[in-house]
Amino acid sequence: MRKEPVAVVGVGQTKHVAARHDVSIAGLVREAAVRALEDAGLAWSDIDAVVIGKAPDFFEGVMMPELYLADALGAVGKPMLRVHTAGSVGGSTALVAANLVAARVHRTVLTLAFEKQSESNAMWGLSLPVPFQQPLLAGAGGFFAPHVRAYMRRSGAPDTVGSLVAYKDRRNALKNPYAHLHDHGITLEQVQSSPMLWDPVRYSETCPSSDGACAMVLTDRDGATRSPHPPAWVHGGAMRSEPTLFAGKDFVSPRAGRDCAADVYRQAGITDPRREIDAVEMYVPFSWYEPMWLENLGFADEGEGWKLTEAGVTELDGDLPVNPSGGVLSTNPIGASGMIRFAEAALQVRGRAGEHQVDGTARALGHAYGGGAQFFAMWLVGSQPPPG
Amino acid sequence: MSDVLSAPLVVEFPFTRSLGPVQSAFLTGLRERTVLGVRTDDGTVLVPPVEYDPVTANELRDLVEVAPTGTVTTWAWNPSPRRDQPLDTPFAWVLVRLDGASTALLHALDAPGPESVRTGMRVRVRWAAARTGAITDIACFEPYEGAAAGGEPAPHTGEFADPVTGIVAPARLDYTHTPGRAQSAYLAALEGRRTVGERCPACRKVYVPPRGACPTCGVATAEQVEVGPRGTVTTFCIVNIKAKNLDIEVPYVYAHIALDGADLALHGRIAGIPYDQVRMGLRVEPVWVDGVRHPDHYRPTGEPDADYDTYKELV
Repeated sequence: MRKEPVAVVGVGQTKHVAARHDVSIAGLVREAAVRALEDAGLAWSDIDAVVIGKAPDFFEGVMMPELYLADALGAVGKPMLRVHTAGSVGGSTALVAANLVAARVHRTVLTLAFEKQSESNAMWGLSLPVPFQQPLLAGAGGFFAPHVRAYMRRSGAPDTVGSLVAYKDRRNALKNPYAHLHDHGITLEQVQSSPMLWDPVRYSETCPSSDGACAMVLTDRDGATRSPHPPAWVHGGAMRSEPTLFAGKDFVSPRAGRDCAADVYRQAGITDPRREIDAVEMYVPFSWYEPMWLENLGFADEGEGWKLTEAGVTELDGDLPVNPSGGVLSTNPIGASGMIRFAEAALQVRGRAGEHQVDGTARALGHAYGGGAQFFAMWLVGSQPPPG
Repeated sequence: MSDVLSAPLVVEFPFTRSLGPVQSAFLTGLRERTVLGVRTDDGTVLVPPVEYDPVTANELRDLVEVAPTGTVTTWAWNPSPRRDQPLDTPFAWVLVRLDGASTALLHALDAPGPESVRTGMRVRVRWAAARTGAITDIACFEPYEGAAAGGEPAPHTGEFADPVTGIVAPARLDYTHTPGRAQSAYLAALEGRRTVGERCPACRKVYVPPRGACPTCGVATAEQVEVGPRGTVTTFCIVNIKAKNLDIEVPYVYAHIALDGADLALHGRIAGIPYDQVRMGLRVEPVWVDGVRHPDHYRPTGEPDADYDTYKELV
């Protein structure tokens, strides 16, 4: 029996900001969920199950917050489950929800992800003082910066490429009312002269810390016919994982990422992602990860990703726009960041991305990763239903 | 396994919580000796109140004031109170349905012994002397002889002067951490300033520090292999911001170092060379200081740099 086609008929986000002191966690997730239901033209009673994700419990110090959120998300009397895959969780949460529809377990599923970073301590949560271990000698950026240097060495990329990504994403964010950072006067010179935190990573090339939530309503073919707005159709979705550290791990282009992308393209019938995909929302927490992921995801040959960035191909008006929403570099409620990528890809193929819409997007890729390049989750969505 | 190490690991942090409108009113009310509940769509009065209706999922904002007296609906005796519990003498955990409420609130009942507690007994709030807007503003409940207050609970705006909008929720977890056989052996070797990894019997890769198993092949490792002491900087970054808990002057170099014979880089600080002269391929050796288990840092050996091709698989 074939899988049930899965449609995204509702997308909702909060306005992402540094701190939402005015709402509880329940109030925060509720806002995104209500907006997704409104977009889908549905009520709480139309939802059959709820699938939620957030970063590890340590971040906010509440064990299993999903239990307390059941009332806010209309989940009482329905199945509710939580997905845990570190920074990629927003993506894998959406995929678990999509699989429930594809497998005809449920017809209409609400999926959402959140983080209230202002009330958490991610740095602390990630660096517990484990006895006998040598303490980590650098912050979060210090974990990633050596891999960026390795990429620069391997590819021969000029050291300005990272600043081009940050400048692009921050300008794209100005067109996205939900983005956290809205730096209206930003210039390339400002990015390039911002403090070097973890050389080669500058301050302006790092992601912010945000409070926010993102929600989607996924439904089957019948549900899609009742959608008041065009749906996005899931053409392929996959997850892959690998250990954080192992002998032979390629930190610059992890195999789990390559394999995950290949699986998604195979499902979607994509043979030339560079030509056949119109827009990409990828998880870029530090600017240099754009060229790195362009290679890992098959949009460029090894060592060539930076040339696409440098040539302007990934700009909003380029022929492969990357992160038209402004990306993680402009908005980072950690647990939600992956789902925002998936949701923004859906908005693009639905033609509902507003000012940051890439005209004529028929196929878009949403990408998430996390846990020290350990977990990968991706989906490819299209404006037309999958064939068959 | 007496050579396996073990030590306490305490995970502790004071988290903050924004309350939102309903919990803000509830906790501020306690500060003012007022217990608030919320009326749901079907007329049920929930105490403590919640923001969203458990049945209809609608937003709830219809606050009411209930009495500080109520009835025990069930209980459990706590003979030996632990740190941070409401009372430091034996007490009963009770569910109390306050007069006017439809649901029960969990709290402590101050009673001389379990024989003096029963379901259906009447109790009242004992207010804390100093109240801040927290559930602990109810110090506990105490026995009370009065009859149930009658009538419907009165509507309440939930508005108070100087409302509490957030709380601090200290969290603490106490673990006993043991690094296990393989890492204990690694740590023991470090005492002698030797670095000993383990080789996978299948792929022959040498893991430093060893984990006792190969993450790629999924088989146990046992063959010990001494590596280093010299190694090659495979990649690095220059840290320009001072980390809170580290007493290291910035800028400094944080590097991935592949010790000779190891198939995985470990992490360390590079010193003994100006930070801006560190490069990929730099040959380094550990510098030990007395009383510290791990190398303090690594310094250049003076050898020629390693050729990129010799370590590129380790980057």
